[in-house]
Amino acid sequence: MLLTGAQIVLECLLEQGVDTVFGYPGGAVLNLYDALYEYRDRIRHIRTSHEQAAAHAADGWARASGKTGVCIATSGPGATNLVTGIATAYMDSVPVVAITGNVSRDLLGLDSFQEVDITGITMPVTKHNYLVKHVERLADTVRNAFRIANSGRKGPVLVDIPKDVTAQKTEFTPGKPLPLAPPAFPSEACFAEAAAMLKESKKPFFYCGGGVIASGASREVKRFAEKLDAPVACSLMCQGGFDQRDPRYLGMLGMHGTKASAEAVKNCDLLVAAGTRFSDRVLCNAGLFARNCRILQIDIDTAEFGKNIEVALRMEGDLKAVLARLTELLPQRDHAAWMAQMLGCKQKYPLKQSGAPGEVLPQDVLETLCALTGGEAVITTEVGQHQMWAAQFYTFREERGFVSSGGLGTMGFGLGAAIGAQLARPEKRVVNVAGDGSFHMNCAELSTLSRYRIPVVELIFDNRALGMVRQWQKMFYGGRFSQTDVDGNTDYAKLAEAFGVKAMKIEKKDEIEPVLRAALSLKGPVLVDCRIGKDVNVLPMVPAGASVEDPILKM
Amino acid sequence: MQEADEKEYVLSVLARNNPGVLLRIAGLFSRRCYNILSIVAAQTENTEYSRILIVVSGDDRIVRQVDKQLCKLEDIEEVSVLDRAKAVVREHLLLKVERTLRNSQHLVQIADVFHANILSVTPDSMIVELTGDAKTVNSFIELYNPYHVLKILRTGSMAMAAD
Repeated sequence: MLLTGAQIVLECLLEQGVDTVFGYPGGAVLNLYDALYEYRDRIRHIRTSHEQAAAHAADGWARASGKTGVCIATSGPGATNLVTGIATAYMDSVPVVAITGNVSRDLLGLDSFQEVDITGITMPVTKHNYLVKHVERLADTVRNAFRIANSGRKGPVLVDIPKDVTAQKTEFTPGKPLPLAPPAFPSEACFAEAAAMLKESKKPFFYCGGGVIASGASREVKRFAEKLDAPVACSLMCQGGFDQRDPRYLGMLGMHGTKASAEAVKNCDLLVAAGTRFSDRVLCNAGLFARNCRILQIDIDTAEFGKNIEVALRMEGDLKAVLARLTELLPQRDHAAWMAQMLGCKQKYPLKQSGAPGEVLPQDVLETLCALTGGEAVITTEVGQHQMWAAQFYTFREERGFVSSGGLGTMGFGLGAAIGAQLARPEKRVVNVAGDGSFHMNCAELSTLSRYRIPVVELIFDNRALGMVRQWQKMFYGGRFSQTDVDGNTDYAKLAEAFGVKAMKIEKKDEIEPVLRAALSLKGPVLVDCRIGKDVNVLPMVPAGASVEDPILKM
Repeated sequence: MQEADEKEYVLSVLARNNPGVLLRIAGLFSRRCYNILSIVAAQTENTEYSRILIVVSGDDRIVRQVDKQLCKLEDIEEVSVLDRAKAVVREHLLLKVERTLRNSQHLVQIADVFHANILSVTPDSMIVELTGDAKTVNSFIELYNPYHVLKILRTGSMAMAAD
């Protein structure tokens, strides 16, 4: 059938099973939006207040559902506004396809109105990108974009389409999603070596990263941990990849990890690292990391082996398949003494915030939230102290229950991501845990919540400060609080109400439970302004340059 | 500047001839802080592909990283790290030198010793061309230096595995 470029793009999205896209209209995508009008019964378009949030929403959609997120923006500023969102998805390996319009081909390269070289700009933050100059190639390009976004280590792909290409007509042949490149699988010899290492180990420690979520391997992780009889720690990106109610769970590993995880990495004789890239936030000082043990690393991206740290054995492949095979090969292990030692450590150093009597503490708020939602809400976060508290005090128990910008650390990510997550998982309660600093960055998205009646709970830990940076200033810069006190004049309740969003306030400890309960019972969007003290810190904490094995527990 | 344990490696990269492919490669090197000493790119016998030869300096670990990161680029088909001992490595030189009646004979003699071609002769200058490995090219230039070299154009290394 003869279709326009714009119609071809939408047909290709339908082929991929896409039913929701996030975006913002503009001149260069007029044809695309005209086609969206035509296809509105099959593709739902969510218009955010700013393109950045459209990119975060596509990302949140993908993280919460495992499907590919799609966002659309016009040329020039529309496209550049996506960049932070694309970079966020890239750093956390999230499959997103971004579609941008560009000026017509005859205007390309002439500094035309709203022209920008977005393929050039996004080259370092995409797995691949395309400028489609021929409408005949458009369908295959979109199909390839989805294939690349989902093959191997996932990530974002951008397709830039000049305006006249979206208007041109060509014959369209319906197709199917392209098959994904099959991942590598370790050799039998490699498995034998791994099995020998695992059997030899007396004190194994199992450390999981975001790859567990990407691969959908949480069941395999649990079985393997049980068979290996090892304690488990997760990175920030793997929150929920292992049920945190499980007694073997020691907590997060890294800069704000638990003391028990730090002790495990210090005392183990074998570190099994699954789906993790050993980011600097986990290694802390790479030279002082895991000096007393061998490391067995499993990852789908071969470039991650030996990138940040040398490992004894590399197993390249999809985590789910590799762990399943390893579990088969491994006889049941029993490390009772080692497990008891680690669990004793977990009990000795619990995560515990303290304050004045009656003070509202983030720990209490998050533990109450966890209890009220049965630990089954999808928690999105912004970036800062509240992000770490959410990871520490909400007991995650399933994959895709935690959506957070780990690699890029993008303040302003959470609200857009919550929009995407809620639309992807309508059956779930979605709570965006925010700080007042991050909230201010993209608070205009309250308007999106309101317009589409998206029932997100926006929970702001309001300490009138940029808390994480302030904490560093307190610790390492002699309390010189440069630009981090943001004693605001924002009245959150009024702001929310102006957008048509309900608002509530928590100011005292005894308000935590009733207010959260009331907020969660609403069917529409709601903002909860939770007033906390400026001096609640994120602990434990490993200062720059120190070993992850020696976290500071008090300050 | 090369660190003590750094060596030179020749990477031979086969890439699909799509727009921007050279930029993708160069961008990867720059953002990951890998040093490019030279780069030569040209179409292969199949016009859909380019062969790109990149000389990098670094230690073994860096070169393994470069290799793997390059392989992840969508347009890259194949990357091989050539062993200099088992490869033919050549670069091409064009050299313009000042010519006078007195030195003319000497200039021609040097070219003859190296089997270099004389491409152009004017009353005031002469252009010679030479193909050879880096060492030969370097000593060739050194011999011309006393005669006032006006301009040097030098390609990066091309390399082909011998086996």
